[in-house]
Amino acid sequence: MDNTFVEFRDLRKSYGALEVLHGINLAIGKHAFVVLVGPSGCGKSTLLRMIAGLEAITAGTISIDGRVVNRIHAKDRGIAMVFQSYALYPHMTVRENLSFSLEMAKTPKDVMVARIERAAGILHLDPLLDRFPAQLSGGQRQRVAMGRALVREPALFLFDEPLSNLDAKLRVEMRAEIKALHQRLQSTTIYVTHDQVEAMTMADLVVVMNDGRIEQSGRPLELYDHPATLFVAEFLGSPAMNLLRGTVVSRSPEKAVDVGGGILLPLPEDASVTAGQDVVYGMRPEHLAIGKPGQGIGAKVSLVEPAGWETHLHAEGGGHIFRVISTKRLDVVPGDPVSLVPDAGRVHLFDAASGLRI
Amino acid sequence: MTIISRTEPQPSAGVVEFIGSLRFRAGRFVLIGIPLVILVIWTTVPIVWAVLASLKEPLEIYQSNTLLPSNPSLDAYREVLSMPGFRGWLWNSVLVTVVATIVPLTISILAAYGFARYAFRFRHLLLLLYLVPRIIPRVSLIVPLNNLMTDLGLVNTYWVLFITYTASAIPLATWILVGFFGSIPKEIEESATIDGANMWNRLRRVMIPIAWPGVVTAGVLCIREAWNEFAFVLALVNETGMRTLPYQLYMLKDSMGVQDYAVYNAFTVLTVLPLLIVYLLLERRVVDSIVSGAVK
Ligand SMILES: Nc1ncnc2c1ncn2[C@@H]1O[C@H](COP(=O)(O)OP(=O)(O)OP(=O)(O)O)[C@@H](O)[C@H]1O
Ligand SMILES: [Mg+2]
Repeated sequence: MDNTFVEFRDLRKSYGALEVLHGINLAIGKHAFVVLVGPSGCGKSTLLRMIAGLEAITAGTISIDGRVVNRIHAKDRGIAMVFQSYALYPHMTVRENLSFSLEMAKTPKDVMVARIERAAGILHLDPLLDRFPAQLSGGQRQRVAMGRALVREPALFLFDEPLSNLDAKLRVEMRAEIKALHQRLQSTTIYVTHDQVEAMTMADLVVVMNDGRIEQSGRPLELYDHPATLFVAEFLGSPAMNLLRGTVVSRSPEKAVDVGGGILLPLPEDASVTAGQDVVYGMRPEHLAIGKPGQGIGAKVSLVEPAGWETHLHAEGGGHIFRVISTKRLDVVPGDPVSLVPDAGRVHLFDAASGLRI
Repeated sequence: MTIISRTEPQPSAGVVEFIGSLRFRAGRFVLIGIPLVILVIWTTVPIVWAVLASLKEPLEIYQSNTLLPSNPSLDAYREVLSMPGFRGWLWNSVLVTVVATIVPLTISILAAYGFARYAFRFRHLLLLLYLVPRIIPRVSLIVPLNNLMTDLGLVNTYWVLFITYTASAIPLATWILVGFFGSIPKEIEESATIDGANMWNRLRRVMIPIAWPGVVTAGVLCIREAWNEFAFVLALVNETGMRTLPYQLYMLKDSMGVQDYAVYNAFTVLTVLPLLIVYLLLERRVVDSIVSGAVK
């Protein structure tokens, strides 16, 4: 990639004998909005803090804008960071919170005023400038934290789970606001979350991490449609993908997967599997259609969740629970028999031993 | 703008609520109020008694058992203030207290910051050792200290008071400040680091202002320690001109044949008064800094 802005090369981090990042390689393009996503404890914050210069680098390199920053102080890396706890200076007014970094950099007074005005304008902070953080709501604090990052005019924005302290409605609002801000400012952004919905909706590039490694990185829908590993398949998408362990059997002329309970699932024509191979058979809930009786998998409805424009369904069949999403208004109640028809063209197959996509 | 109430007032609900709140208030009074009253009496009675006694005539205290002075006068205060050495003793107390507050606070702030923020080797052990001077009874230190200070030629100088007072105040102040600094979220300081603040600026512009109630608390305790200190000054100083107020108060009791209780109590009141004023002034500060949003 030509326009690489941030690059990790075989980046490692250990705390004493415990290695928590096991060699991260990634290139991030200029202006990109990158979301690091993964379960708790997988090393997202550690990676972000290493970029920020708050955590020493054990091995490997980080470069920003073509310059290796391993030995460069946090304040000179051209970054700004928004913390999950906001970390506002509680004894300073909003205005002082915004001006602190500029003061430290000995910015001329007129430039300082102009930058604060601009940031306050963008984030609607004008009426709050003379308040203390304790006098602000959660959402307002969040915006002040972003304002504090903004005034530094950083080349790289770092966010560590900035929305996790907000209630659901505000979270959705701020999500859109951050996205809009990025579209306006075009600063390269690295955003950490463990919320896969945030990852999918905000990112240009999603990086799924697991246990100190990158599982897969790519555009959101690319990852959704072609998860490279079982972990990614399971992690992205809500409700989660149906994953069934099974064995490939020959059912001339074509092959199928026997997942137990008398259920044989069809394979796509081009699937490169051999009979007897142990696989995991994955179907997104929206790729399971409700068929006519006798067609597909026989199951019994166990849970119906009407969500308005779509209906979520749990159905039990052959000892498995199937999650189904239908955009039709289904007229079923728990206990009703249904038959589920997988869309064979959109099946995800993984090797049971390695977890890799087949 | 007028507000029009659309619902009829419901007296019964109001009454229930009122009784409920009464009961709540009564409970709160028993739990908080009564102990407070006892505490206030406990702490103020001796002072009130001393003030009243200081207003009596010299021998009145032996003659009548009434609490109130029959013929209140400020003569005793005049007498204390006109003692030839009084200004000197007051100055000694003030000087020693100022030095033994500013120096230990400065050292303790730096030490506490280190203890709270850096995971260096033997940190916990060192912090414990820090307490040793306060665990050992002060009296047991006096003989070795006296020998040491005599060897150093410091007996009967301000230095001996500066050094011993500072040394005994540092552990106290440090322990208080470690707690305050330690409770400040790390991210706040990390934000300041990214914002370009070096260690000195982080301490001065971020850590100390946020921990200000702690700094004031530690300061008040340093002031109290130094102002009231008695054992060291008694052991290490013997010239009349080097005495502090508590020392002189003690000497006063010794030197007067028939004790002039009025003068004695006037001296006591004048010794306590400056401390009381400092308390009242600084307590305000502590409250102010908390109210102004220093605590999240
Ligand atoms: N200072 C430290 N000392 C030792 N281990 C640490 C330290 N900080 C983090 N770790 C370990 O490093 C791993 C990664 O932690 P990290 O905070 O990066 O996870 P995360 O992906 O941000 O998780 P979360 O979503 O919960 O914030 C964890 O196993 C954690 O226990
Ligand atoms: Mg984290």
